Amino acid sequence: MSVRLDGNIVFLEGACRVEDAEPLLGLLQAGRERAVNLTDAEHLHAAVLQVLMALRPTIQGTAGDVFLRDWIAPALIGATSVEPGPQGG
Amino acid sequence: MDDLLQHFIVEAHELIQQATDDLLALERDPQASAPMDSAFRAVHTLKGSVGLFDFAPMGIALHAAEDLLGDLRERRDGIDAPVIDSLLACIGQTERWVAIIEQTGQLPPDAAEEGYRLARALRSQLDADPAQNADAVLQADLGWIEELVAQSRNPANLGAQDAPLVAIRYTPRADCFFSGDDPIALLRSVPDLMAVRLSNRDPWPPAGEIDPFSCNLKIEALSGAELDVVKAIFRFVPDQVTIHKIAPTAEGQASVAASNSGAPGVGIGAGARTLRVDAKRIDRLADLVGEMVIAKNALAHLAGQFRDGADRKHIAQGLLASQAAIERLVAELHGAVMDVRMLPMRDIFRRFPRAVRETASHLGKGINFSIEGEEVEADKAIVEGLFEPLLHLLRNAVGHGAEPEHLRLESGKPAKARIVLRARRDRDRVTVEVEDDGRGIDPAAIRQTACERGIVPADGLDRMSDAEAMDLIFAPGFSTASEVSDLSGRGVGMDAVRSAVERLGGQVSVRSEQGRGTTIRLSLPLTIVMTKVMAVRLGRELYGIPLDGILETAFVPASRVLPVRDAEAFVLRDRTLPLVRLADLLEIPPPPEPPQGLKVVVMAVGDDPVGIAVDGFAERMDVSMRPMSGILTGMPGVVGTTLLGDGSVLMILDIPELIG
Repeated sequence: MSVRLDGNIVFLEGACRVEDAEPLLGLLQAGRERAVNLTDAEHLHAAVLQVLMALRPTIQGTAGDVFLRDWIAPALIGATSVEPGPQGG
Repeated sequence: MDDLLQHFIVEAHELIQQATDDLLALERDPQASAPMDSAFRAVHTLKGSVGLFDFAPMGIALHAAEDLLGDLRERRDGIDAPVIDSLLACIGQTERWVAIIEQTGQLPPDAAEEGYRLARALRSQLDADPAQNADAVLQADLGWIEELVAQSRNPANLGAQDAPLVAIRYTPRADCFFSGDDPIALLRSVPDLMAVRLSNRDPWPPAGEIDPFSCNLKIEALSGAELDVVKAIFRFVPDQVTIHKIAPTAEGQASVAASNSGAPGVGIGAGARTLRVDAKRIDRLADLVGEMVIAKNALAHLAGQFRDGADRKHIAQGLLASQAAIERLVAELHGAVMDVRMLPMRDIFRRFPRAVRETASHLGKGINFSIEGEEVEADKAIVEGLFEPLLHLLRNAVGHGAEPEHLRLESGKPAKARIVLRARRDRDRVTVEVEDDGRGIDPAAIRQTACERGIVPADGLDRMSDAEAMDLIFAPGFSTASEVSDLSGRGVGMDAVRSAVERLGGQVSVRSEQGRGTTIRLSLPLTIVMTKVMAVRLGRELYGIPLDGILETAFVPASRVLPVRDAEAFVLRDRTLPLVRLADLLEIPPPPEPPQGLKVVVMAVGDDPVGIAVDGFAERMDVSMRPMSGILTGMPGVVGTTLLGDGSVLMILDIPELIG
């Protein structure tokens, strides 16, 4: 299960696929104050990513996946200029 | 493809040709004002039409060409070879782009780079404020790269980065998720990312109206990987991505360099073209159809009389008269339709001056090229089929025929070699010649080459006349790889010219006088008479059977074949038909194991259907059939031959004659 609501937090876990976009959109539309936790996300499909970009929920957690952490998460945290994070080994 | 785009493509081809003609005329006479005005108008109109579509790189290049032409027109000066070269380069690229648009509906991904490069080259020819305009556009449009570079110039991250970078701008199509694309997965697979910027292509709709399955992303990224590696990652979405190679300079500014063009080479004349027809010919067709309607009404009148029991003899007379009228009309209609397909040679000839010029300037040769008889008409298929062979012959004439200038002057010839492309009508054929006044062909050299390459055995060569020896240039294998260059052809030799011409039902001959020049003559029919044939397989061989004699094809289980005395028959839909095996007719030994079922071509032989058993059915095709000639003329059972696309010969069988 890649999209899971726990309290007021939507957890994205594992590889989020195109079919996760609609449930995610539903959860965020239903509660605009809900935050999204990316700690255990391994990949975000572009469809999932653009839901996050469009609705701009509060993002919690630092993705364990280096690619998400360095290149994708910054776009969601609202930084318009993307400063790459420190290069992980 | 929508109508507007189709109109654009037709119009663009004409304007491109017009501009090319005018530029070549200007090169000959830089002071001439008519071609100058005409070229300016053509480029101006073309730029205007491009603006209706999303073909910005083409617009930018043409805009620069228009400005340059406008400036030249004002100054009436400064028209020299480099200026014409840069204008022709722009027009040539536009032509290639239009060909790609015709096939794919859009510009290739590297068009942006190429457009800016052309615009820069053109603007550099402009005297006043050379690069101002172009740079403004450049800065505006490539600004994103600099922003990205600025972002990635993070000392902690990049340090002293001096290897070239690759900038990627990927705008996935809105429906890309439905074709299984995940743009983020593609981005993840780009090695050595230096910077990423994610944004929305269009503003996000209100939260309640978001369609999660319509991609609205714009992805920009920098990578330190090799350009080819990055290109390979995005190879399946070439229409959605632009990839630039950037070389960081000493000042820390990025300069965008044109990367190797990865655009597919698109052959000129590929794809379906619209046929423009003289209105008079359409009027004639309309008149004939009008007469056809009258003839039909007359027939209806006769039918009415017949129903009312009119006199038989009277009806028969009326029918005969009506049939004669319809027959005449059908013949005229056929002629009129064939007329519609007639094209003037001009349609291909006018593309040659530029090709000759390019080849000549590449080789540093002066060529005086002229065209005669461009108004001569032939069937569309013939005219269009001649483009490749003639292009090859002309390049040969420039490359091999024309001598270097100093040799020409030594032998008392004008410095520039003269090449004439000539077409004329000879009764029911068209003759096209490529004539040069170059070095000519040395029969001794031909004999030697033919001998070395084993084309003809040495004793055979001795018996040949010079004219026969010269004909060997058309033999397969005569041209070798050492002569193959980008100029003299893409690995095709004179044998390819010959087979192309023969496929059109024509012949090629050569006449040459050493030191005086060479003439290659192509003789072609005015129209191609296409025969529909069905190919059948027997063992490994293919044979053709004219389709008009075939009633149907059928699979017959071996159990349904009945021996009838010393012959065979089979039952098809409650009817017993004689069965003949094609192998027996051709006296070819049958396969060792009789197959379980028979593939049978049912043909009308005389008045009765007959089944012809073959080993397999192959495709149906339209071929230009050539009657048997020479010693094969009297060969029974074969109506003719045709060349297949792979160069092999297909014999077309006369089954009724074979059955005897």
